[in-house]
Parts: sequence; C-alpha cells; structure tokens
Amino acid sequence: MKRILIAAIAMFALGVTPVPGSAHHSFAGEFDVEKPIKLQGTITRVEWINPHAWIHIDVKRPDGTVESWAIEGGTPNTLYRRGITRESIKAGMVINVDGYLARDGSKKANGRDLTLPDGRKLFLSGAGANEQPGR
Amino acid sequence: MHHHSVRVISAAAAAAAIVLLASVPLEAQSSKTPWGDPDLQGTWTNQTLTPLERPAEFAGKPELTEEEARAYEARLRQQNNADIRTPGTRRDVTVAYNDVWWDRGERIVADRRTSLIVDPADGKIPPMTPEGQKRAAAARAASAAFGDNPAAPEDLDVYSRCIIRSALPRLSTGYNNNYEIVQTPGYVAILQEQIHDTRIIPVDGRPHLTGAVRQWLGDSRGRWEGDTLVVETTNFTDEARGSTFRDATKNMVLVERFRRVDAETIDYQFTVTDPDTWTRPWTVKMPWNKVDGLMYEYACHEGNYGLANTLRSARAAEKAAQQK
Repeated sequence: MKRILIAAIAMFALGVTPVPGSAHHSFAGEFDVEKPIKLQGTITRVEWINPHAWIHIDVKRPDGTVESWAIEGGTPNTLYRRGITRESIKAGMVINVDGYLARDGSKKANGRDLTLPDGRKLFLSGAGANEQPGR
Repeated sequence: MHHHSVRVISAAAAAAAIVLLASVPLEAQSSKTPWGDPDLQGTWTNQTLTPLERPAEFAGKPELTEEEARAYEARLRQQNNADIRTPGTRRDVTVAYNDVWWDRGERIVADRRTSLIVDPADGKIPPMTPEGQKRAAAARAASAAFGDNPAAPEDLDVYSRCIIRSALPRLSTGYNNNYEIVQTPGYVAILQEQIHDTRIIPVDGRPHLTGAVRQWLGDSRGRWEGDTLVVETTNFTDEARGSTFRDATKNMVLVERFRRVDAETIDYQFTVTDPDTWTRPWTVKMPWNKVDGLMYEYACHEGNYGLANTLRSARAAEKAAQQK
C-alpha cells in the first residue's frame, strides 16, 4: 500500500499521465462513472467466455432478500496463461466488488476491483496465480 | 551422355550438400522446412512495451542505455498497472478491471529502441496529407457525435463488434498478443489469437485478387526473398468503423517482412504506403518472440454481452432524457 502511494505521488510529481487501458470495447458506454457501487456476494457461477468473463454473484440485502448480480471481467485467456483456471474460482466463494453500475439500470457492474473479504486481490490469491507458464 | 553428366553433377551436388549439412550447426539446419523454405513455424508474441512513436522525452535519442531501458520499463509497468485506481474518473471505468486481466508485457524491445518506427528516422508517423487530415477529423467527429450512446451496432467499431480485432498490421496491445505460424509447400498460415482469425497466405506467385474483392484482412500474397518472407497485402475495406489501419484508406498497401534471426526470434518489419493518407511511407520494426505456452481460442462472439449492454444503456439514457 505504502509502495503504491509513493508511486502515485511520484507519478504526479513527474507529470506522468497513466496510460489508460483499452478493453475490447469502451466500458464507459456500458457502465456509469457517476454510479460507483460496492457489493459483497457469493459466487454462483462464472462464465469463462470471451471477449469478457462474467462472474455471477448472489448479494444478500439488509432486508434479507437476495439479488443476483453479474460482474464483468476481462479475457479469460490471460488468466489461463497465468495458471488461473476454473478450478481457481468456484461457486460458494465470497467476493467483494468495487466497480460501476450498468447504465441500463440492470443488476450488472464491472469488476473494477475484485477482492476477497480479507482484502487480497481475487485472482492473485488463487493457487498458481503468480505462475506464468510460457512467458 | 548429356543426361548422364547431369546425374553425375547432381550426385556430386548432393554429396556436397550432405557434407555441408553435417558441418552446419543444428539450430541453422532446423530453420528450413523439409521442402526447403525458411522455417517460421511456431507460436510467437509481438508483445512489447516500446511505443509505436518516439516519445517527446526521447527526441533525438533512438536508443536507450541498458540502465535507462530498465528505468523506463519500470515506469511503463507502473503507468500500466490497472490496480492503481483513479476513482470517479472516466479513466477508472475504461481501465475496466484488475491488472491480472491485462498482459502488456514487462520489457521494451531487446535493442532498446525508443520507438517501433524506424523510418522516418525521427521515430514518428509522417505528417498526414490534407486529405488524410480531413478524413481523420471527420472520423473523430462522427465518433464524438454518438459518444457513449451508439444508435446501432454499426456506430461501434469492428473491434467492439467482434468482426476483426483490428485492421492489419497488428501492433502489441493489452493482452493475447500471440500468433501461430504454420507452413505447407505453397502456403504460410498465421493464426492470430485475437480474434482467432487465420491469414492463409499463398507463396506460389499467384496474382492478387481483383480490386473489386475487398476483405476485412485484405488480400495477402507472399514470396521468399532469401530467408525473408515478404507479404504484400492489398484489397482492404472501409465498410465499417475501424476497418482500416489508423486513418488509412482501403487502398493502403502493406508490406510485411518476416525473417527468423534465431531459434527464439523473428525480425518482423512492416511498411505502410498510402499516398492519400500519409506524405510518405513509414516502417515499423518489432520482434516476434517465441512463446512456449499455448494459444487459446478467443471466440469473440461467444459472449459479447457488452455490445447489447452498451446499446441498451444508450436507449435507457435517451428515455431518461425524454422524461426530464
């Protein structure tokens, strides 16, 4: 955390503008920058599909009802190349989602930052996640 | 008698070839296919952190020292780190997801150049012609007009629509920068991981298709110049947004050169020529490095929910605006 903070300060000091990523399509057309959203839910299934994987979660509301949400990720090819497979992320796991709400008002969000309840990054915490076969 | 002497000569040539083969190192021997073409086969990546154009900070400095290169790489990795957030900004939304999904690479090119462009010598795309500038401005205006609210799929580019990942030639992008080359006598096939397109390139001397036939990846014809595969591609199309390379016309001519320099590396160069767009041709040089791992299918249409979601979002925005 401290390392990231120092790096961020250094970037501002150098006047360096971070290079934005370019996903397969513009997420700004799909998700609302004015509507950040935080969710905690239990994974029900993961669609390991291209161009973007989708993680489906059940979120328990304060009134006890359960809502199903769909969270958009990136290309699963990159995860496979890093040794992260469908065995790494399974139904029943609880995850935190910090992202932006879909502009069409449906129960979808982008998984801008996916973490486990203890704060570790979701995929980086999986078995073999830091191995990069073939790179 | 005549025939006989030819046989004697061929036998001598064959014997000489065997002697020659025996003295050539194993690596060089394997760089030919069984039918004698240079062997480019394998799985390769063009992934690199080196920018296409030379950044202003390196003006007049085509190459970095080893120390400068490592410092520059560290800075680029930091800039590309998608886990560093800028909450509440458009950029934060467009970066889209955690760093684990991105794979931009860790290194610049091995010869430490500051741009992939080697010609012109300043490492910059040459100036556009007035006509090219006009076309580029019109394309930007059209894109700005719908912004995040496309009226129909056709407003989105070929990439978002899963038609082609991008026009040829392909540069290094955010992920899946992998290519598999397979050869047969008379053909070279290049499978691109994005978006599992395969270019099947005849190398048998046949002419290009008629100019009336236009294709998303153009029409490629190859030939061998010594150890170099030279591929000329024409017949591009401008039927959809993003279907030409940068702001080029469909008449752009692309010439790519592939030369295997060692077991691990193909020297890949391309030159684009389009007098209706740029004031002169320009050339890029970038390595394709051997990859030991597998290519994975990138079935783009399989789950392109983003396209429908974006159109639904645009309709929802229109409805909300009407109700105001």
